[in-house]
Amino acid sequence: MTNSINEVEKADVFFVIGSNTTAQHPLIGSRLINAIEEGARLILVDPREIQLAEFAELHLRQNIGTDVAVLNGIMNIIIEENLFDKKFVETRTEGFDELKSVVSRYTPRVVEMISGIRAHDLEEAARIYAQADAAMILYAMGITQHTTGTDNVKSCANLAMLTGNMGKPSTGVNPLRGQNNVQGACDMGCLPVVYSGYQKVIDESVKNKFEQAWGVEGLDDTAGLTITDMMDSAQKGDLKFLYVMGENPMMSDPDSTSIEQALSNLDFLVVQDIFLSETAELADVVLPAASFAEKSGTYTNTERRVQFSEKAIEPPGQARADWEIICDICYLSGYEMNYRSPDDILVEINELTPSYAGITPERLKEGFGLQWPCPNVEHPGTPYLHKDQFTKGLGTFFPCEFKPVSEVPDDEYDFLLTTGRIYYHFHTGTMTRRTSILDREAPSPLVEINPADAQRLGIKNDDLVELTSRRGSIRLKAEVTQRVPRRVVFSTFHFHEASVNLLTNPVHDPVAKIPEYKGCAVKIRRCA
Amino acid sequence: MKILEKKSLLDILKTWAREYHLLCPSKTGPGDIIFDTFNENTFTADYKKPHLPPKSSFLPHTQKIFEVENSEYRMVESHEKKLLFGIRACDMMGIRQSTSFMTRDLVDPYYSRRIDSTLCVVMACRGPQSETCFCTTTRSGPWAESGFELQFFDMGDFFLVESGSERADALLDNSLFSEADEISTKDQLDAWKKSSSESIPEIPQVNQAMSMLKDRTSNEEIWDYFGSKCIICGGCAFVCPTCTCFNVYDHISSPANGSRSRSWDACLYAGFTKEASGHNPRGDQGLRLKRRHEHKLLYFNETDIQDALCGCVGCGRCSDFCPVHIGTLEVVRTIVDGRTAKAGSTDKS
Repeated sequence: MTNSINEVEKADVFFVIGSNTTAQHPLIGSRLINAIEEGARLILVDPREIQLAEFAELHLRQNIGTDVAVLNGIMNIIIEENLFDKKFVETRTEGFDELKSVVSRYTPRVVEMISGIRAHDLEEAARIYAQADAAMILYAMGITQHTTGTDNVKSCANLAMLTGNMGKPSTGVNPLRGQNNVQGACDMGCLPVVYSGYQKVIDESVKNKFEQAWGVEGLDDTAGLTITDMMDSAQKGDLKFLYVMGENPMMSDPDSTSIEQALSNLDFLVVQDIFLSETAELADVVLPAASFAEKSGTYTNTERRVQFSEKAIEPPGQARADWEIICDICYLSGYEMNYRSPDDILVEINELTPSYAGITPERLKEGFGLQWPCPNVEHPGTPYLHKDQFTKGLGTFFPCEFKPVSEVPDDEYDFLLTTGRIYYHFHTGTMTRRTSILDREAPSPLVEINPADAQRLGIKNDDLVELTSRRGSIRLKAEVTQRVPRRVVFSTFHFHEASVNLLTNPVHDPVAKIPEYKGCAVKIRRCA
Repeated sequence: MKILEKKSLLDILKTWAREYHLLCPSKTGPGDIIFDTFNENTFTADYKKPHLPPKSSFLPHTQKIFEVENSEYRMVESHEKKLLFGIRACDMMGIRQSTSFMTRDLVDPYYSRRIDSTLCVVMACRGPQSETCFCTTTRSGPWAESGFELQFFDMGDFFLVESGSERADALLDNSLFSEADEISTKDQLDAWKKSSSESIPEIPQVNQAMSMLKDRTSNEEIWDYFGSKCIICGGCAFVCPTCTCFNVYDHISSPANGSRSRSWDACLYAGFTKEASGHNPRGDQGLRLKRRHEHKLLYFNETDIQDALCGCVGCGRCSDFCPVHIGTLEVVRTIVDGRTAKAGSTDKS
């Protein structure tokens, strides 16, 4: 998030796109609801009628994958009606003319044709957002999990910059991260192109710094592979060894059949996890890891806040903290890692990572965490980014053209399947499906289908249906509901009994390499 | 009545800690107050209302109730001698109501073993512990009438200590306690109680809402409104001193080995009332919220315990912690008001 969770309470307008906030970030969702009750206004852009729809002044139900067109359309109206922040555009940004020329083609009528959103509603939304004193954009995987994920994000940023909703409280572009520490994992360089703090591996001076700190030579200065690239590489036989930690690609990656082929094709697979996941079952070696309550360390949440978490109980059996396992593997491989505690590791992070330099173990144990960038021990942390200038100086508008989902429905595969999570389960269910009350609340996989489609196909609530894509087929029960629009079905990736990723399309965003989980063509029929 | 000098408090706690598993108000690193095992360094007498009632002493969040080993069944019970020091009067009432519920017809053995081996020391409240306190309305505070072993009244330099049961004798058998002068003590205590109860305002809407629920004159639409914004966290039930519902589940390690456990549950969850057929008599979130609040304000009225008002003990924790403000205080005010605060139009494009 460019801004902070507490700032939600002070915003005038929320533009929520591709986030089922009350289900996936319920405490942020509750702040939205409270703010709306105090008079804030909500524009919701989501194909599904989620809980927040009840609180939305405008609920724009776009056709799946048409976000760039919708955002361009809104920007076009803002420019046409002269509602943009001229001072911000002039002093803080570059590339306005290019933006203007691209979005000018997205007139309300054109956008209505593409997205299904009525021109009048789009105009209303543009005016409400542009005229707010402080408007926050909140998004989640509904924006990123597309072949146009990067374009969608850039378009959100364009909209915020165009209206000057950047660099001040209760504004900004706020991706709500889907896991408690995915921000921290990225910050610590769990990406193929950077070290901690987004220091590039191809940068000679960065390479030298880390070589010196670690007492080694010849650190690889080429970009590595993303997860999706790794699977392709394994399938081709180029990648021989894979070490998976806290991830369950057999359930979470698209087109599970090809993932299984890729993993089976490896010479050696190691999985480190707290439970024997579907992926761990395929592993040559399984390393039992400690859970959150069984280890100490820090997490970095969605608002960039680093927080210390104390060990509460001893890990069971042979389970150990991830950092201890990694240190031992390094030792056995001939490199001695001399960390005695998570504090030791954080001290090294402070030394090598400018944005974390002031986030020391001592400071974290005193209060409620610190938000990066925090460049020194006197620095109070940064509640919102880009205050007086962007990291690169001027903010550049990157106008994007609309591109449809990769696999458009046709006569045979006549529905779009969109996937996500529900309130009661987390990801592949490794933890939540082992938790009695959570599994009682949502014990089995369901596919949501619109009543009009269900009637046409003779499907009733709770009927067993077969969902088939070009890659596979699953059987699960139907939930007939207005929550989904016509010709769209929704299901989740929590259930191994009907793993929805057997169906999803393994196509990726060209830059971020994120798969298109939010749209693939399927057909549905009632099982006899 | 006995007197205990404040400077002797730590000494008496240390004495008790040798005999009992002593749980008392303790300060965590970030400053929260929890009931935790006595430790000189974390114990504090300077506390308001702890975030959680002490119910986990009797109904642990997760509790193994029996084990099966080679087809042999073994009940898991706790007879540990516990002493709860410093609970508030509202929480004492919560314990008494819960105990009544758990032993009324079918005795819950796991709960009752724990309650039977626990002694309670109440710290009466000298005034409201937060702006959500309404124990004077529910007749459950600011001091307890009975149910405790000992009750402490903070008189400044010393505590007046009231004995409430025979089990208190063992606790009082210590030279640090001195006898109080009956006559002067009575006046002092009466004045203390008067000023304390007058400092906690009555909330007339509680009684009004109870009457409206009883007469079925409340506006049913308020439940739809609350249901639309509830985020189903169940937090209101978890912080409630009188919520004791639990879910039972098994861990089967092999056909002849395993265990059965129970953990806190909440009527706010759909699966709590869902029937095997798939039908749910409390079919939407509004109806589930209605059930919860009627349970507190309608079904358990005129309890036989200490002349208490209803199944709510007025601690105000649900109002303190509900992320979307669906606590008892907000609910009764909305029932009486008959209107909801919902903003935003219902324009569904």
